[in-house]
Amino acid sequence: MPLVHASSRPLGLALCVLFGAYAATAAAATAVTGAAIARPLPDFTLPAVAGSNVRLSEYLGQPVVLSFWSSRCSLCAAQLKALDRYYDTYRSSGLVVLGISVEDDPQRALDYAHAHKTSFPMLLDRGKIVSRALDIDRLPTTVLIDRGGTVRYLHGDDNPSDPSYVAQIRALLDDRLIAP
Amino acid sequence: MLWPLTLVLLTTTALAAEPAAAPSPSASSDAAPPAAAGGAAANGTRSLDEQIQTLKKDVVDLNKDLFVLEEELLFPANTQVAVFVSMDVGDFFALDSINLKIDNRDVSNFLYTPRDVTALLKGGVQRLYVGNIKSGEHELVAIFNGKGPHDRDYRRAANVRFEKGVGAKYLELKITDHQRAQQPEFEIKDWE
Repeated sequence: MPLVHASSRPLGLALCVLFGAYAATAAAATAVTGAAIARPLPDFTLPAVAGSNVRLSEYLGQPVVLSFWSSRCSLCAAQLKALDRYYDTYRSSGLVVLGISVEDDPQRALDYAHAHKTSFPMLLDRGKIVSRALDIDRLPTTVLIDRGGTVRYLHGDDNPSDPSYVAQIRALLDDRLIAP
Repeated sequence: MLWPLTLVLLTTTALAAEPAAAPSPSASSDAAPPAAAGGAAANGTRSLDEQIQTLKKDVVDLNKDLFVLEEELLFPANTQVAVFVSMDVGDFFALDSINLKIDNRDVSNFLYTPRDVTALLKGGVQRLYVGNIKSGEHELVAIFNGKGPHDRDYRRAANVRFEKGVGAKYLELKITDHQRAQQPEFEIKDWE
């Protein structure tokens, strides 16, 4: 009996370790999913609701947060508000935040953008070029891009106050672009 | 299209340079005094830097050659048409976008950022479009969108009929200010 007990203890420990590893992977997968992860996002230029056109490649060297929204998404307003807070805190460190509409009706998108004013640019993606490139299938979706233009994190969740946002934004800001 | 070829050539170049860059085991003599060893190390680093610089220059030259080759293959002179954009002064017009049509077919829709406009105002010339068309008569229509005088939305079109011959065809969209009329002017110049 003691022999059996002794041999089952390492097995139990191994199972615990395996389960822990699985749980950690699963938890990470909720924040980091999608085929776009670890790939450079193709460049795009989009018109802004107010002001000039915006091109992604002009922010190379700065971490960029893209937030996809639509007037039909009930959680997008809270998401945009939370990102506005992060932008306010980290813009002096070089953080760029861009809100991207995936609205079909441009007038509705304009009305929504005017009703939910943010201090970062709100862009109109009428052709859905960017959302298709990232294969976005839910809203709100937030994409974090590093200084080199590679997609690092993709949040398709519904928790704008997720503390992992701050940790990930800080990780992107702490990254230094290696000179070629 | 030529990227695989570029990669192969770059890898070959890098591999060819590697043995020269790697420090020889025989070079680090145990009996050598520390000062001499430090000098040798410094020389070795300098030599390595020079090799890296040479390699970088080779890569840049190779990239340039491949770019020219790619252009010649994709857009042969007998079918090539290229459209350039230039802008002068820009007091009466803030460029936002240009929509380009050749023979009533959309070929380009370019959105300008403030950085693009600044570059154009500094004298830069942008190649907006390069493509292939058959010999014969064609029509090019350029629609300019932006802010005109008094910050009003401004949309103007300019068109030109041109003859495509055996050589490459170059067309230039020129945006200038008409001081007397206090209006922007849009002109399409056909470079023979």
